[in-house]
Amino acid sequence: MAQFWFYVFTLVFFLFDYFILAMGLNIQYGETGILNFAYIGFVAIGAYVTGAVSLPNSVGTAQQYIFGFNMPFPFSLLAGGVASMLLAVVVAAITLRRLRTDYLAMVLISLSLVLYDVINNYVRLFNGADGLYNVPQPMAGVLHLTSNAFVVFFACVTGVISLIMWAGMSRITRSPLGRTFRAIRDDPDVASALGKGVFRYQLTSMLIGSFYAGIGGGLLIQFGGSFNPTAWLPGETFVVFAVIIVGGVGNNVGLLMGALLVETLLIHLPAFLPDIPGHPGLIEYIDAMVIGVMLMVMLWFRPQGIIPEKIRRFALPVGELLNRDGHSVEAPVEVASTVTSATSIGETHEGNQG
Amino acid sequence: MSQFWLAFGFGLVTASVLAIAAVGLSLQFGITNYINFAYGDFMALGAYLSYYFNAEIFHINIWIAMVFGSVIMGVLAVLINQFLLSPFARRFNKSFYVLIVTFGLSLILLNLLYSIWGANNRTYSMKLEIYKHIGPFLLNKYQIIVMIISVAVMVGVHLMLKTTRLGKSMRAMSDNTTLAMTSGIDTKRITTITWFLSGLLAGLAGTVLGITESQITPSSGELFLFVIFAAVIVGGVGSIYGAMAGALLIGLATEISAAYINPAYKLDIAFAILILTLLFRPNGLFARPGKA
Repeated sequence: MAQFWFYVFTLVFFLFDYFILAMGLNIQYGETGILNFAYIGFVAIGAYVTGAVSLPNSVGTAQQYIFGFNMPFPFSLLAGGVASMLLAVVVAAITLRRLRTDYLAMVLISLSLVLYDVINNYVRLFNGADGLYNVPQPMAGVLHLTSNAFVVFFACVTGVISLIMWAGMSRITRSPLGRTFRAIRDDPDVASALGKGVFRYQLTSMLIGSFYAGIGGGLLIQFGGSFNPTAWLPGETFVVFAVIIVGGVGNNVGLLMGALLVETLLIHLPAFLPDIPGHPGLIEYIDAMVIGVMLMVMLWFRPQGIIPEKIRRFALPVGELLNRDGHSVEAPVEVASTVTSATSIGETHEGNQG
Repeated sequence: MSQFWLAFGFGLVTASVLAIAAVGLSLQFGITNYINFAYGDFMALGAYLSYYFNAEIFHINIWIAMVFGSVIMGVLAVLINQFLLSPFARRFNKSFYVLIVTFGLSLILLNLLYSIWGANNRTYSMKLEIYKHIGPFLLNKYQIIVMIISVAVMVGVHLMLKTTRLGKSMRAMSDNTTLAMTSGIDTKRITTITWFLSGLLAGLAGTVLGITESQITPSSGELFLFVIFAAVIVGGVGSIYGAMAGALLIGLATEISAAYINPAYKLDIAFAILILTLLFRPNGLFARPGKA
């Protein structure tokens, strides 16, 4: 029975952790329109830094890593988030101003591969291909938790953190800042014509998103106690994209739903299935293909996701407004802001514009 | 100094492979105006198709197997465009969607290769060839043939673009699709042919990459993809001749640097050049207005 709850709470942990990761990518992609194909790289930096600062000094251990500050739990996590933000500043400063969507995506996916290559080869940074391990379990010593109890405890901690971060994200998306993000997503040129500094807002969005990525990554290494390059192959970015596209781009509740469906049910549940005899790893491969196919089907039939972005309605102040026929309307009117409605993203009837 | 020339020779081989791949990617990009993130997996799939003919069923000579593999990859690329990418590109105006679809396609193809052929390295069945000194270079027969193939492909692409009706239509479409359409160019047909050529070149590049590196794995194309991106961006996105020049530059730079620093980082040199280009000449060396 203990075994059963161990599994359940492992799934609960991944649900909340991917909820955090999805919120981070959603503010970049879903709200601001930055196609960050290097997202998993930011997650990895968060995880490595969290691990490396919470481990003791590496001298005398079998591992090689930088830092080694013995930092206690919540601070190590914050260090991971901040490290991820620092990476975002560098990346954004070089790329965001210069490149439009698809070139940005090309450079970012390259960045993700190079980051992978460097961390894999430069052993002194984060122990190379072996990765960090034996990372202390936060507070397990103080609370005298067994490893089963730790899973339950840490899944709950992650749940609380994700709720706090959800509250923060809701505030951001409802604020004028969030509205500006969405305006940039829908049309950067229009936003810039209205006097919004597109680069500055995109940078802000990258920073917020990568903080979420860093925290999500930090929680991963604190939960599992280890992290190595196989955990963040560039394809993992796609899983996070799948979470937000299935759940609903631009909708925080949808993201939780997406995390439940994609991450928990499609990725971690099949991991408990026994291997097909003679074909090690086949289940994983098929699983990845199923996710790819599901995402395409979803994009085609329900591009707004399971729970679509709310069409935000703003009551205009009393005044003269013209309705469609050109007659004036007197009462304050609720006007659906079609620009920010998810159903209108990208779908036009103009055909290919070359 | 001799070490430099040795590395230069290897650089020319890498550049040959890279040039085929970069031209294939650029051709398709110029016409459809979105990047195919599954291109690396097209390469790997082409390499495995050649492997299938060469080592698994017909046991034919690798060069003939390469032709079969590339042509089939070309046909697959056309089918993928017809039934997957083109509907998405037509339906959604923003390039986000089709980019994510190609990203997903990359995941599907990669895992398909893993499920069929497994994660182990495969090698083509070829006679072992010794390395010979040719001038200051040290190369074997296969590497020389790969270089000849690459030069032939470059000349072929050049002649096609400059002299044939097809090439002119492709250049017209790449400049302005709507204008090309109103001038009576059958844009659908040109797009289909372009996808065929892109797939063909991807298959060819994947196979010659496998020949020069004497092994193939499902992820080899994916790892090579960012070197292609570097060549394409350095050369100037959308410019075929820029892609060729970028491939030469990146190919030489990665191999020559490998002679002086740890070869494990040689691909990262490509990325460093990419970043420097972005900082100082963001539109690439042979920039075309309005593309980047």
